[in-house]
Amino acid sequence: MEKRRKERIDRGIMVRSDSIYALMSWRELAYLAAPRMLLIIGMLLLPLVPESWNWQGTVTLVCVYAMLAISFDFLAHYIGLVSLGGAFFVGVGGYLAGILNTTYGIPPLYTIPVAALGGGVICTLLLLPCLALRGVYFAIVTLMYPLLLVRLIEALDILGGTDGLLGIDGFSNPWVEQYLVIIMVLLFLFGIRRMVNMDIGLVFRGVKDNDQAVRASGINIFYYKGLAIFIASSLGCLAGACIIYIFMWAGISLFVLDYSILPIAATVIGGAGTLVGPVLGCLILIPISELLRDFGTLRIVFYSLILVGFIVFKSEGIMVWAQRKYHQIERWTKI
Amino acid sequence: MLEATGLMVFYENMLALNNISIKCEKNQIVGVFGANSAGKSTLMYTLSGIMQDIRKKEKMAGGERITIHGDIFFNGKSITDTRPSRIARMGVILCPERRRIFKESTVLENLKIGGYLASRSQAKETMEYVFKIFPALKELKKRTGGFLSGGEQQMLAIGRALMAQPKILLLDEPLLGLSPLMQLTLVKATKEIRDDMGLTIIVTEQYARPVIPIVDYAFILENGAAVLEGTREELMNNPDVRAAYFGV
Repeated sequence: MEKRRKERIDRGIMVRSDSIYALMSWRELAYLAAPRMLLIIGMLLLPLVPESWNWQGTVTLVCVYAMLAISFDFLAHYIGLVSLGGAFFVGVGGYLAGILNTTYGIPPLYTIPVAALGGGVICTLLLLPCLALRGVYFAIVTLMYPLLLVRLIEALDILGGTDGLLGIDGFSNPWVEQYLVIIMVLLFLFGIRRMVNMDIGLVFRGVKDNDQAVRASGINIFYYKGLAIFIASSLGCLAGACIIYIFMWAGISLFVLDYSILPIAATVIGGAGTLVGPVLGCLILIPISELLRDFGTLRIVFYSLILVGFIVFKSEGIMVWAQRKYHQIERWTKI
Repeated sequence: MLEATGLMVFYENMLALNNISIKCEKNQIVGVFGANSAGKSTLMYTLSGIMQDIRKKEKMAGGERITIHGDIFFNGKSITDTRPSRIARMGVILCPERRRIFKESTVLENLKIGGYLASRSQAKETMEYVFKIFPALKELKKRTGGFLSGGEQQMLAIGRALMAQPKILLLDEPLLGLSPLMQLTLVKATKEIRDDMGLTIIVTEQYARPVIPIVDYAFILENGAAVLEGTREELMNNPDVRAAYFGV
């Protein structure tokens, strides 16, 4: 038998474009910029498909879930806090924006950022006591809060009780709505990607790897964990605030578990820890789940089969695989 | 008894083991010496089959990354592609580097888990034997594994490996981070185990001096290749080896 092994070599262009010399040739510039431009232009073109496809609602939904998925991926793979708190963030952000809009009549343009930042503060304060927890404990706490808040709203009949907040403004037209969420997704995607590669991102990843070593370096990990949760929950609250203006209604269904689980599924499919992966995962998963609505109850069956298939056959995730193929040559060589 | 021929392991493009052929006879203690990154642990993982498992996990995480080539024979039978659990069942037991004891379980429980492959009477007998050669463990029966000191953990790790009824025991850096006194105790115990149970033992170490008195035959690894081999006397008389590995 001939002895062979799979060789793996970085592409020359990848190595060259790693440095400042990348600016010296169009080819290398294109190598760096093409994947990013593809994503940006692709996202910007999304709303332009023919209206007959009935696609417009899905685009906004994809973007909202993409924000949640980025927030999950950031927390789980850069800080090491596995959060099931998508629903919690969406609920807090949504209700906050809803109250500001209905009670004080503030237009969406202002309530969305206020709800994102304010919601971030509220979520962070509520989660501060469990910062010392890791792994499954943190996940359980974040899973419990939305359940707690739903029952609280129901039992005390506050914030509109089971009817929810009625009379919320909508966006002035669907184009504004779609482009607003798309631009926000791109902004946060590239923003967070930038952040995790800066010094602060180094500390974040250190906390994930070995928090005791980070503490031994004289860094207050409590502060950094809190900051990370604030960033992630603000992003989640932003998604929540967008959702209520899309549905023009805020109710206890904002706390539904879908907002926690779907982003995780998208992250698994797209490639964990890449930040772009989760967005791609949402682009695949959410339309599929909308298409499968025709199948009625069988929808969940198909949906689960797709997920299981991905986890078994492509457990690395689409983005990890694609990055490997883009940056490296794989070939069989003789030993 | 255990024989590997032309063993090659690649981590991506890095050659971790380069055409290594080693052989150990029944009832011998074979030493494998080498600095960090010489390939000692890779060799142990490959011999015990764990490398196949690592390869599989790496593949799940992103492509074919580890390549294993060569043949491993145990009692004349090829175990190159045998699953690690099967290899353990055949009697090749690895006592891994950095102990890897079950930190949340007590000493007794650790030993019982190790005795999964043994029959009830064998397990009872071996446990008594473990407590005989490591009397310190007997006092700590109920202590949780994570609260043991480094030396006690190493004793426990060896004890756990013995419970699996090995025919050949692979000890990967058993003296890692231990005091000279503890090293001496463990080295003595290793020899005692070989004599009492009639085992074959392969032991790796960075620094040969504490282990060399009990070793029958030894290999010296450098950058993944076996650069030198010989009996204890041959190696002791080699001036290069003396300087590099015995600190004389």
